[in-house]
Amino acid sequence: MIAALLLLSFFTLMLLGVPIAVGLALSALMCIVVANWDAQMFGLLAGPQNFYSAIAKYPLLALPMFVLVGSIFDRSGVAQRMVTFAIACVGRGPGMLPTVAILVAMVLGGISGSGPANAAAVGGVMIAAMARAGYPPAFSATVVGAAAATDILIPPSIAFVVYSVLVPGASVPAMFAAGMIPGIMAGIALIAPAVWLSRRHKFGQQEAAIPRPPFWASLREASWGLAAPFLILGGMRLGWFTPTEAAAVAVAYGLFVGLFIHRSIGWRDLYAIFREACEISAVIMIILGAAGIFSYAINTLGVADPIASWVKAAGLGSQGTLALVLLALLVVSMFIDGVSIFLIFVPLLYPVALAFQWDLVWFGVLLTLVVAKAQFTPPMAVNLMVSCRMAGVRMEATLPWVLWFIASFIVMIAAVFFYPELALWLPRRLGY
Amino acid sequence: MSDKPAPRPSLPEERLAVASMALLLLITLLNVVTRYATDESVGWTEEVSVFLMVVLTLSGASAVARRDSHIRIELFLNRRAADGTETPRRGLKLLGALATSFTFMLLAALFALWVFDQFRYSETSMGLGIPLWWYGLIIPPLCLAISVRAFGVFLRALK
Repeated sequence: MIAALLLLSFFTLMLLGVPIAVGLALSALMCIVVANWDAQMFGLLAGPQNFYSAIAKYPLLALPMFVLVGSIFDRSGVAQRMVTFAIACVGRGPGMLPTVAILVAMVLGGISGSGPANAAAVGGVMIAAMARAGYPPAFSATVVGAAAATDILIPPSIAFVVYSVLVPGASVPAMFAAGMIPGIMAGIALIAPAVWLSRRHKFGQQEAAIPRPPFWASLREASWGLAAPFLILGGMRLGWFTPTEAAAVAVAYGLFVGLFIHRSIGWRDLYAIFREACEISAVIMIILGAAGIFSYAINTLGVADPIASWVKAAGLGSQGTLALVLLALLVVSMFIDGVSIFLIFVPLLYPVALAFQWDLVWFGVLLTLVVAKAQFTPPMAVNLMVSCRMAGVRMEATLPWVLWFIASFIVMIAAVFFYPELALWLPRRLGY
Repeated sequence: MSDKPAPRPSLPEERLAVASMALLLLITLLNVVTRYATDESVGWTEEVSVFLMVVLTLSGASAVARRDSHIRIELFLNRRAADGTETPRRGLKLLGALATSFTFMLLAALFALWVFDQFRYSETSMGLGIPLWWYGLIIPPLCLAISVRAFGVFLRALK
């Protein structure tokens, strides 16, 4: 009864467009009152306690730090230099610029951790360049929006930090390692349709006429940016620093490069950069706090276990249930943004995952793949929204192109679903 | 992700959030440096960092509440005009702002009770051994700030 009230009130509030943090906190507090009508203060003091303890976790510090890394590297001027270097590597020709956009988004994904920020950074450079080479703007927007989705897979990823805060037993380094191979596969899954579509429609014919940048000079220019993923991931791997410290070091490094090497950041910009990072972090962490009250309500009011046993009794088996869960999330994620998907559904699905003994790291990678696909699947597609705005096209215009990328990406998700080793081999090899 | 940062007035809670973020960065970097220089980690940093993170969250959320741009489902919220622009339906916008204001008012009151309990039972922190309510004291006002900002959105939408 209370279980139904909790879920119904939350989904109603959410559909009415009430902020998700408010919907979570309000429905949970209401159900706590109903369930503890006779208790002192209606048991409401559990609210602030759980809100506080959901945010006041030291490992969560990695989140604002990686958000800050993203905000800084967006403006540090490394994107432009990486693009030049990538062109020098792959050369000129039809389909080469889209390939460059995807490769650069993947490398930037190894620095920052959020898709829309990546879409803005890559789109700022690539959309104009692709227009000059004769690619239609809707196609360019699709490529950039889809490419940026690799961001939340390739470590460091904010989604993985959130997941590992929510799920005991999936450490940040293990999640980061598990995302590496699926992230690279996702890049390949996007390059394939990009090149094929460019060839088929003879896009970028003018591209071959533009001179290829010199290799060594562009490597020297790009080296400051290219070194960043090695600093972050290598430093963590070698035990120099924890994920949080790696992010702080990357912030310092990015500020140094932006302020003194590339001189693309001025001292006056610092306030705006920090403000942006604060707001992005706060918007996520306030939901995390509210989700703390919500999952307290789920656990103490006995909501999750009935769902888990009900799902188990449905008799679909482990694989069938997981496939169904992923399909449901593929639909839901078209309407809810990625981090909220994690915050709402992970507490609900955690008992189910335990009941079927799904590997929690693998499960996290699959969820993240679904969210990554949602980032460029209309109508909610956050990344595509950014790249369409930069290209000056409406999202509907991308439909003839984006469907190919979505199809290719779903094949990739299926591969990780049927071959869990794609996610699990690297973390085991590294000993996480 | 804003591609053209429009100049907007800087709010006090926004400056508090930025200061918390800057301090968090400095403390974390300090931790790395001291660990390699003196081979021991600084014990108090964890406690202070966690506190700053809570301040960052609530003050940042207040600044975002001022612009009414917290994450929400916009599927039914927005009405689409003929030219393709989307504007929130007035009734739902009012509802969202009022629900936000009420929830954070309630949380402010509950946090105040919680902090009062910490004071009454003289609970102390694990790392530094200082009274817990020293940290807790800032939380109710920040929740109240979110509530007030959301109520401001409500009033402006009402006009």
